Amino acid sequence: MASAGILLVGWQSGVHVADTRSAASAAATGNQDSGTGTTGSSGAASSESAASSGTTGNSGTTGSSGTTDASGASGAAGAAAKAGGTYDGDLVQTRFGTVQVQITVKSGQITDVTALKLTDAEGRSVQISNYAAPILRSEVLQAQSGDVQTVGGATVTSDAYLTSLQAALDAASL
Amino acid sequence: MQQASETTPPLRARTFTCMGTVISLTVPTDAHKAPQAVADELDAATAVVERLFTELDSIFSLYRPDSEASQLVRGELALPEASAEMRARYEEAAEWRILTEGAFTPERPDGALDLSGIVKGHAIREAGKSLMALGLANWCLNAGGDVLVSGSPNPGIDVPWRAGIVDPADRRTLLAGFPLRGAALGSPPQSLSPAGLAPLGEKTADGGTRAALATSGSAERGDHIWSVTAGAAEFRQVSIAAADVVTADVLATAIVAGGVPMLNRATAMWDIEALAVRANGELLATGGFRR
Repeated sequence: MASAGILLVGWQSGVHVADTRSAASAAATGNQDSGTGTTGSSGAASSESAASSGTTGNSGTTGSSGTTDASGASGAAGAAAKAGGTYDGDLVQTRFGTVQVQITVKSGQITDVTALKLTDAEGRSVQISNYAAPILRSEVLQAQSGDVQTVGGATVTSDAYLTSLQAALDAASL
Repeated sequence: MQQASETTPPLRARTFTCMGTVISLTVPTDAHKAPQAVADELDAATAVVERLFTELDSIFSLYRPDSEASQLVRGELALPEASAEMRARYEEAAEWRILTEGAFTPERPDGALDLSGIVKGHAIREAGKSLMALGLANWCLNAGGDVLVSGSPNPGIDVPWRAGIVDPADRRTLLAGFPLRGAALGSPPQSLSPAGLAPLGEKTADGGTRAALATSGSAERGDHIWSVTAGAAEFRQVSIAAADVVTADVLATAIVAGGVPMLNRATAMWDIEALAVRANGELLATGGFRR
């Protein structure tokens, strides 16, 4: 359930930013023929979402998958909200293995996200834990300049280096 | 951290300027060696690294009118006739363009060839191989904010190198820290394969190796990033920790260009840790960056 929880985080943040792949993938599978039209979006060009869709639901199947288009994702979510029920996501190949999630929708709300398939190359269940999630500054690994041996950052020019923390570290070790 | 700083022996560092930035090589002092011997060894190693960087810069710099890269841009030289080094880097960059679905590209928007996005990472990678070949097991190489390490700053107790990441909003302060471990500790020197296939810092069996940390920004000179989608960049700064420095560097660049979709693609497809700073200052991080 820890894995599903993390996927759920992906879903929730995806609703906010509407461009999260896992959200888009799950949302697209909710795109039933509910009378509001289909998104028509397809992630077939994406190797990550190139897996077969094989989706089942209350009222038919859908072939669209893995869209990263913001309007497509939110549009599909709207369609799913009207339909209700449970929806299986596409099989998505990740470096953790094959991932498939199922969402449960009631009265327009996602009430559950379950990982249907979550296996590594050997077929064992694995935990997905590498999603980059929103985090507070107080929650990241802390560092003071006195504690580090080197400083990373976007490329500094040789002029900017002179006043950089790295220059201070280097000067202390000459 | 306090414990580490108390027990870390003094470090020795040398710097030189190349590729428009400053490269720093840092090694721990060895209690079993005379200080002068450590200094001599470091001077010799720095000279090797500097020669390697200088050679690559003379080929790839677009700031040097006489470089091979400048000749290519001016159309005086065609890629098929270019040097093996140039063609190898173009091939590598082209592979990364496919892997990142175009977020990383070896071409400028006007179509001109620009391998700047991969050359520094390549130089760090090759320098790391040279240092291993010289028999140095413990070192930290920092090229303008991109870092590759081997071994430990305190080989006696084998603690990781601790890297800080600058806060893009205030470059005098650190946004976060990250422990870097070299996979090369105790392993034989890597081969000097020109194809860059030697597994320096490659993932170990436990998958935990993070020898490299690269950071890209959307407002820095020299990063050569163009947003895939028009408009302001979604991320102000992206840091990637990975087993090898080219992967870290390329993916950091690609995520700045490609935004959240590329970030999610990168964390799903590669064994990396990511810390991204949104334009509004909010952070996105994978588990490895959590305290």
